[in-house]
Parts: sequence; C-alpha cells; structure tokens
Amino acid sequence: MTAVDVAPAAGRSGEAMLVAEDVTMQFGGLTAVDSVNFSVNRGEIMGLIGPNGAGKTTFFNCLTGLYLPTSGRVVFDGAVLPPKPRKVVLAGMARTFQNIRLFGNMTALENVMVGRFCRTSSGPFTSIIRGPKFRREEAATRQRAQELLEFVGLGQTTDSLARNLPYGDQRRLEIARALATDPKLLLLDEPTAGMNPQETRQAEELIFKIRDQGLAIVVIEHDMRFIFTLCDRVLCLVQGKALIEGTPAEVQSDPRVIEAYIGTGQDDASELATELEDGPDA
Amino acid sequence: MRRPRIVTPELQERHGNLGRLLAIIGGAVLALSALLPWSYGFDALDGMTLMFYPSPLQIMGLVLGLVVVLGLVCSRRFPVRRGRPVTGWLRGARAAASGALLYVAIILIAIAVELGGLVNVTLGGWVALVGAALAFVGTRLVAPGPRGTLYDAHARNWLELLAVALVMAAALFGLAYALDTDDPGIFVSFLVFVGTVIAALSGLGVTGWLSAVSQRHRSVLILAAFVVAFLFPFTQNGSDANMSIATQVIIFASAAMGLNIVVGLAGLLDLGYIAFLGAGAFMAAVVSRSAFATLDIHPPFVVVVLMSGLVAATLGLIIGTPTLRVSGDYLAIVTLAFGEIFRITMINLDGEAGPDLTHGSNGIPAIPDLQLGGFNFGKAHTLLGIPLGRFSNYYFLLLLVIALIILVFTRLNNSRIGRGWVAIREDEKAAEAMGVNVFGLKLFAFAGGAFLAGVAGSVKAHVDVSVTPDQYVFLQSAFLLAAIVLGGMGTVLGVLVGAALLVLLPEKLRFVSEYRLLLFGLTLIVMMRFRPEGLIANRRRQLEFHEEDEELAERIDDQIQPSELKGATV
Repeated sequence: MTAVDVAPAAGRSGEAMLVAEDVTMQFGGLTAVDSVNFSVNRGEIMGLIGPNGAGKTTFFNCLTGLYLPTSGRVVFDGAVLPPKPRKVVLAGMARTFQNIRLFGNMTALENVMVGRFCRTSSGPFTSIIRGPKFRREEAATRQRAQELLEFVGLGQTTDSLARNLPYGDQRRLEIARALATDPKLLLLDEPTAGMNPQETRQAEELIFKIRDQGLAIVVIEHDMRFIFTLCDRVLCLVQGKALIEGTPAEVQSDPRVIEAYIGTGQDDASELATELEDGPDA
Repeated sequence: MRRPRIVTPELQERHGNLGRLLAIIGGAVLALSALLPWSYGFDALDGMTLMFYPSPLQIMGLVLGLVVVLGLVCSRRFPVRRGRPVTGWLRGARAAASGALLYVAIILIAIAVELGGLVNVTLGGWVALVGAALAFVGTRLVAPGPRGTLYDAHARNWLELLAVALVMAAALFGLAYALDTDDPGIFVSFLVFVGTVIAALSGLGVTGWLSAVSQRHRSVLILAAFVVAFLFPFTQNGSDANMSIATQVIIFASAAMGLNIVVGLAGLLDLGYIAFLGAGAFMAAVVSRSAFATLDIHPPFVVVVLMSGLVAATLGLIIGTPTLRVSGDYLAIVTLAFGEIFRITMINLDGEAGPDLTHGSNGIPAIPDLQLGGFNFGKAHTLLGIPLGRFSNYYFLLLLVIALIILVFTRLNNSRIGRGWVAIREDEKAAEAMGVNVFGLKLFAFAGGAFLAGVAGSVKAHVDVSVTPDQYVFLQSAFLLAAIVLGGMGTVLGVLVGAALLVLLPEKLRFVSEYRLLLFGLTLIVMMRFRPEGLIANRRRQLEFHEEDEELAERIDDQIQPSELKGATV
C-alpha cells in the first residue's frame, strides 16, 4: 500500500483548509494511525470511510485536538493545531459526536447558546451588573442561536428540552450547536447513524446547505450510499493506513476497498479471493 | 424503584365515593374538634383546654380540616374543563389530609410528653385524631385526579401583586411566630403545619402559579422579600435574643449561598469551604482594633472586607489551580484536607515556631464593634420609636452582605457563565469540545465562592467578638453542605430555607441539638432516597437527579416559560 498523494486537489473551490501531514498515532506498541496524509479544501465535503477499527475515530481525534499525534502535524488554516479541544474550536473547527452528546437538560436554544460561548466574552463583572456589553452580547447570542435553529429546521422547538427531542432532531441540534461556534470546518462523526432513509435524506440536504455557506466538511460514515452521493472526495482508511483517496466513483470501484470491507482474513489475499469466488452461497 | 402500592387504582375505582364521603366527614370532624378542649392541663403547648375557644394550634388544625373538605367539594363542583388551567383539588386534599394526621399525632404526643402520659389527652384530641385518620384513609381511596396546571393561569395584575404581598406577610408572621415560641412541641407542630400547607398548595397547583407569578413580577418579589427581612427587627421590640439567632441564620445562609455557587452551579464538591470563611474572619480579626490583634494596621472596614475576600480568593486559587484539572473526587479529598490544614495552621501560628499571627488556639478575642461613620454597631439605636439593639444593627449589615451574594448568584446563574456551568455539569467533554473554557469556569466558581465567604467572614468576626480556629472545623463545612442538599442545590430559596432550618432547629429544640449529627445524617439519607433534589427543587437539578423519568421531563418541558428564558436580559 502506498501513501496517497496529498497535493491539494486542483480545480476545486479554493486552497487547502486542513492539511494533515504524516500523522501517526501510537498507543504503546499499537499504531492506530500510520502516517496518514490528508487535506480538505474550502467548500468541499470530504468523506472518511473504513471498516471498524480502521482508526477513523483516532484520526478524527487527532484532527480535533483530543489527541496529540505521536509524529506528523495537523495544519489548519495556515497554523499548526494546538492539542486542546477548546483551542481547536477557537481556531474554527467544530465537531459533532458519534453518540449524541447534547446537554440533555437544557433547552434546544440554550444548547446552541452554549456553542456561542467561545465567540463571546462577557466577564463576571458585566454579567453581575448587567452592563451594556452583557445586554448586547446576550441579545446577539439569543438571536444567532434562534437563526441557527431555524437554519437546521428546528425553529419550532426552541424551548423544548434537548432530551425530549426526537432522535433525528437531536442530531440536527448537535449540528446547530457546532455551527454556533462559527466554524470554518465542520467534522461530522456518523451523522446518520440510526436514522431512517427519510431522515438520512434530510441530513444530506442539510449538509449540502452548510457546504453552500462556504464551510469545509469532513464526514465519517458507514452508510456507503450516503457518503458516495454526498462527498466530493473520499479517503479510505484501513488498519491505520490511507488506502486510497479520490472521487467517490474511484473509491467505489477500487478492488482494495471492496476487499477491505468484506475481507475477513487479515491480509490473506488468497483466502479473500476464494471467499469472493465462492460467493454468498458458500 | 417503585414503592409498593397498598391502594390500587381498581380499589379507588370501586370505593371512590365511599372515600370521598369518609374524607369529607373526617375533615369536618377535624375542623369541629378545634372547638373542643384537647388536653386536661393548661401547661401543655399553647393551652388547649377551653371549650369553644380554640388556641392557635387548634386553629391550624381547623384550617387543615377545612382544606380537606374544600378540596373534595370543589373537585365535584369545578370539574376539569378542556383548555382551562387545572386545579389539583384532590391532590391538595390528599396532602392536607396526610399532613393533618401527622400534625394531630405530633400534638397528642407533645401533650403526652409535656404532661406525662396520654391520659392527659381529652376527648377533643381523640376526636381530632379520628377525624384526621378518616380524612387520610378517605383521600387515599379517591383517585388523585389530574395534576394542577395553574402555572398557565394569568390573573389580573393587582391580584398577582396582592398574592405576592400576602405570601410575604405570611412569611414575616410565620417567622416571628416560630422564633417567639420556646416550647419545642409548638415549634415542631408549627413546622409540620407550614410543611403541610406548602404541600397542599403545591398539590393544588398554587405553588406553580406563585412561581410563575414571581417570574412575572421578579423585581416586586425581591423588593418585598427585602422589605420583610428589613421589617423583621421591628417586630422584636428591642429584644436581642431572637436577633442574635437571626444574625447567626444570615451568616450561615450567606456562607451556604456562596458554597451554592461552587456546588450548585459549577457542580464542584467542596468539603473545606468553612476555611474560606475562617480566612476572612481571621483577616478581619488581625487588622481589627482588638488589643489582641497582631497586625498594627487598621484600614477602614470597607478595605478590610475587600482584603478578607481577596485573601480567601487567593487561597481558593492556590487550592483550585492544581486540583480542578482532575475530576471530581480528587477535589473533594483535597478540599477536605485543606480545611484541616487551615485549622491546624491557624493553631500553629502562635509564635512558638514562626510568626505569632493568631495566638494559636486562643484566637483573637475582644474584637471591637464596627464603627461606620458616626454609627456604632455596638450601641442600641431607636428608629421609629422602636429600639434596635446590637444584633439588629449587624442584622441590617448582614442583610446587605447576603443580598450581594444572592445578586452575584442569580446574575451569574443567568448569564453566559451560568450556561457554561450547566454545560460542564451536563457533559464536561462535550462542553470542552464546544469551546467552553471548562478549567477557567471551574476555577472562577471556586475562587469566586471563596471570595464571597471571605467577605461574610469579615463581618462574622465582628459579630462573634472573637475568632478562634475551632469555630472553623470540618463539621461546619459539612453542615453548610447539608443545608444546600436539604434545601435544594442551585436554588436561592431552597438554600435559605435549608440554612434557616439547620440553625433554628438546634437552637429551638434541645432534643435536636443533642442528637443533631444523628438527626441530620438520617434526614440526609431519607432525602437522598426520596427527594435527592432537595426541599425546593431547581428544575434542571431535578431532571439531573431523575435522568430516567421521562414523565417528569415532559411535565417540566410544558412548564418552561418563555419569560424564564428571556429573564437573562431583564
């Protein structure tokens, strides 16, 4: 397996926003991510696929500052990313979680308002005396949060507790909360997990709508149909290594990807070959 | 976990009408029994020996009986109508009946204890007990009916304001009555009565309405509360006995309120909070004009207050910086240790090895009274013809302190910072990933809480006259925490109630003060099992304690008022 060429794809809208250079992540003797190169351009939807245990989430955590890569570096918007989730958010990268992690006992609006925390700066003093800065910021936060709720289609459920929302709405609320941090790049960790086909289609539309606002988007997903209709480019990770990167059509037709997904033996090509030949009736 | 049901819905279906009849008869009997004498001796309680001349305690019984009857009758007369706010008549009657049974039982026991034996209970007392028991059984047999949804109801403006005024007046009257009683039986009976009334009102849905009203008339309510608190010394006729207790209550409540920021808002467990109060008190003591003060600088009191706050906050920063990065349990242990370190340090700063700052375990006695401008806090002053003694003077000053702390608490709670705290409590990792400055907010809560404790401590030093290390022991921290847990984490009213109960009960009841550790421990265990969110629940906290309860979540969702959310900008 050769490393994939990471020269920024030409012709797409604009320069590279996020570049991962030779990112390697080791836990003791285990190499979870092995010198992966990767770049996302402005206004592009990038897919990240791979079988379970391929290192997608570890790689994702390296990008969002939860882990500091053992070697290699992640450059976002021209600067090396600090290994602190909060600083990553400040730099303009927001994420959602694979298992929804909303603030369940806050209302939908409050959840989104928490997302505005890092873009506001009212301190204790002005908060206590209700100074002009506090009033201004509070009103702006509220308004922006309401706009975002409407943007993702939750304008009617402002005052509902997050935990009472239906599953699909919770996913959308999480996206709204991430958008509230004014990101330039949005990382979605399995945004359609557990959704029915209709909700999946709505999620797809929403992601396109966000892309049209000029954001770059990285999506981890297991739903192949979803990822191939959605993404401009797809990176396939297998056992911590980048297997192939290219357009959905290229990745879809690559025999190695198929092998990685349905192969059972580790790297045993002959075993895999027999399995493929025998087909499902074996 | 579900409590086992003795009375099943089927049983209620079958015997509902019988229950209704029993309860009405029971309530009426209880109410009428107030006209009969309850005890043989005049010495018991407030003298319930006269025919047709009810004593105050008997009148309270009468009220409870009438509430039961009223609830049952009105539930028939005013059935639930669609689209209209529901009054929970039957739930109110239920609560009143259960409370009435407990109330009468306690009175009879008190008579027996005070006069020596149940023989001293006369016919009237037994009639009341039978009435209450009938009402209790009867209301259990009736299906409880719908929950009150009066919070939806809007009354005329003047009516709402009148309600606020009435509640405040009742609070003032009740407080004065409770403090005036020196008979433990009366005190306990009165507490049960108050608890029952509140439970019955909450069953009816009136407390929900009142909380909605208080949301709408926030400023009026706060003003009224302070007027009541301000008027309290004027009801005491110059007597300092009750005012001394009242100042203790406020000092304790101020500290609890400060700790409430740390525990209730930021969700940090601080077991050594009393040390910050102590740091403030010692700071004020060593620069006071006491002959035993060890520092020869005597800045004006306003400066002393700030210095005390800053010293406490600095200690908070020193403890918090290394520990707040790790998760909850470590913080509890470190703060526990810090409380002890503080006490022992204060004992060891006696000049034997090191500087003499605190005179060791003797502490600093004879701290003079405050003198602000021409106003001496030690002397009695006469205002509007009513003499106000030393403790009344401090009481007014302490009112200012607690008002400041409550202001800081509510304003912070209802701001960007407060939202950050809730997010941290809910899911720390997610909050961090959404750009919330988790460490900074925790440290701020910790140091800010310490600052407020330091401020309260600087006044306490002058009220108490002397400051010694053994006033600031772990047990005090535990009591502060108990007040918060008992009253309701993250609420203002709850913590005030909790603090008042924890100071008043041992003060008024020798029985409680002798067994206070045992009793408070038992109370806390019972609370944790049945109502972990405290007597007065913060809605969000209630949800946090009942993660599984979907019905509760739906109900609270319905009650969320848009005004509550917009409250931040008011």
